Amino acid sequence: MTRYKRQDPEITRRKFINVAMGTTAAVGGVSLLSALGSANPVFRLTADKMPPLEGDILVHAEESKEGRPIALADLSDQLVRAWPMGKDENGADVIRKGDPNNILALYRFPAGEIVAPTNLEATVDGQVVAYSDVCTHAGCSVSDSDINAGEMRCPCHSGQFAPKRGAVVIGGPPPKPLAQLPIRQDGERLVVAGFFLTPPYPYHNNEAEWDNLKQEVEEALA
Amino acid sequence: MNQWLDDRLHISRLNDKFLRKAFPVHHSFFLGEITLFSLIILILTGILLALSYEPSNSMVVNSFDPGTADAPNLVPAAYHSALKINAAPFGDMLRRIHHWTANIMVAAAVIHMMRVYFTGAFKKPREINWWIGMLLLIFSALTAVTGYVLPYDNYAYNTLKVIYSIAASIPWVGEWVAQAAFAGKFPGDGVIPRVYGYHIMLLPGILLALTGAHMLLMIKQKHTQPQYAKRVAYKKIVGVPLMTQQTPIMLMLTLLFAGIIVLFSAFIPVHPVEYFGPPSTTPIDNIKPDWYLLWVFGVLAIIPGIEFDFLGGNINSEFIGAILLPTLAIGAMFAVPMLDRSRENLYYAENPTNHPVRLGIGVAFMMLLAVWSVAGYKPELISSGILSTENANTVLWIATFLIPALSYFFVQAVVRGIRSLREADERDRTTHAAHADD
Repeated sequence: MTRYKRQDPEITRRKFINVAMGTTAAVGGVSLLSALGSANPVFRLTADKMPPLEGDILVHAEESKEGRPIALADLSDQLVRAWPMGKDENGADVIRKGDPNNILALYRFPAGEIVAPTNLEATVDGQVVAYSDVCTHAGCSVSDSDINAGEMRCPCHSGQFAPKRGAVVIGGPPPKPLAQLPIRQDGERLVVAGFFLTPPYPYHNNEAEWDNLKQEVEEALA
Repeated sequence: MNQWLDDRLHISRLNDKFLRKAFPVHHSFFLGEITLFSLIILILTGILLALSYEPSNSMVVNSFDPGTADAPNLVPAAYHSALKINAAPFGDMLRRIHHWTANIMVAAAVIHMMRVYFTGAFKKPREINWWIGMLLLIFSALTAVTGYVLPYDNYAYNTLKVIYSIAASIPWVGEWVAQAAFAGKFPGDGVIPRVYGYHIMLLPGILLALTGAHMLLMIKQKHTQPQYAKRVAYKKIVGVPLMTQQTPIMLMLTLLFAGIIVLFSAFIPVHPVEYFGPPSTTPIDNIKPDWYLLWVFGVLAIIPGIEFDFLGGNINSEFIGAILLPTLAIGAMFAVPMLDRSRENLYYAENPTNHPVRLGIGVAFMMLLAVWSVAGYKPELISSGILSTENANTVLWIATFLIPALSYFFVQAVVRGIRSLREADERDRTTHAAHADD
């Protein structure tokens, strides 16, 4: 005769082990989420990654003459690619090509050919116009169209833009026109007159993020 | 020595259990094997390439064209090492073999899947193996794409940019996902080490594990038997044993296959990195993905520029074309075994003409992918004057619906023709047999 009657435990052994293992696996699994932090490095906004800013000089992007300031005579109705060149925190010249989305497309058309919706205020005498050269679809660099003269075509997915009409989309998948960059003439040089008029790629569908970036840039420069 | 090994490892048991395993013989059953041989060649050449490749996108002086002391010619280290591999004895050949085999592996896998689909080999009890096969296809494509990026020439750079922006186009989480997958904002300092890690560790590991599971399930569930096996011995396994009949066939096939690949590689160059040059601002004209992703590219080329906000996320044509539609297509392929209602286990490969609807849908699906692949050549179609900028999208969208539908009905007509011929044969045979009795 036993003195103690065996009581049924509140939970079975199997259940206890299952719950314990499940909890361990869940806690362990969630802790692995911290690994995602190392997968996504912190972004630091350095001078070479800033977007084109007021006062930046436009320089050639073509490899053979990279960094040489662009003169009016270099431009025509054929696309010329340019980088904005500004100063870093020590005052040295820095080509802002750390962000490849800073690449610009420059055109010079005879007076009167550039029409709305291009912002004529932001061009040089209504003749020289600057756009972001990055397709608003998948971020490829847009070229002159080899099919229709006077148009731009993206080699990736055939997005087409009209550079005389504010780079509006005239064919293909891009959702937005190319962003126009305000420029002015300063002696022989072309100088950026301010931020892009509309959010450029990859901010073209996220105005808030573009505003954040502008604010971040202004804080970094202040 | 056999005795010595046998005493310790019981080799003879292995022999009875495994090496005598019967392999059914039919030429279409070698497609899966070719895929497996490709994987082996890819791993071997990949190891050799990894020995000389430098996974880094930091800039180094190009030793082939150093420039001047004032203006050194800087190129990414990965691109530089690709140049060095090309310059090494047999180096270019290794790259070509690796590249060609990758293409052939995907091709063999696709044809292997077509064989499985058209003969109904995905049916109960082999549904799980169809799903594993689908995963193998997806991960093969991912491995190929990440391998594409590694030489880090201008072509690879532009490809990577598009891949990044496709990842970033996912609503709500896209930008974060793209940055986490490719080590920060494009082009992050760590992007090449990251892609290299995917290409040589993560993805091949997944591929090998899935391949192992694929083989084990095949052995466990037995291969489908060819139709002639039904006549030879009903519901018995008909085939040749692995040792020693199947092995020479496989060896012959491997050697022939390896020979063809080396021949291809010797005469048809692939991806000349020197020609494309290091990453630059100049876009590459008519850049295209490899043929097995051309259909996604085609969808992107003809999709209209849609964009709308949905619950705070941005849904654009890139997401719809490059992620949503392919997911639907792949989802449809995953669903194939679930659409089948048979309860019986399948033993014999079915004659495709006995299942005209399945055959028709399969052909229509492939025609759809073919139309979209042609749409990938939209710029060429326009510049050659076959289509114009104005009508290209309309024509290609009509073709998207029309050609698969037409091919479905065409298949039905052909099947009906084949069946009536077969019935006529049958009638002839019975009448002849009746005459013979007289």
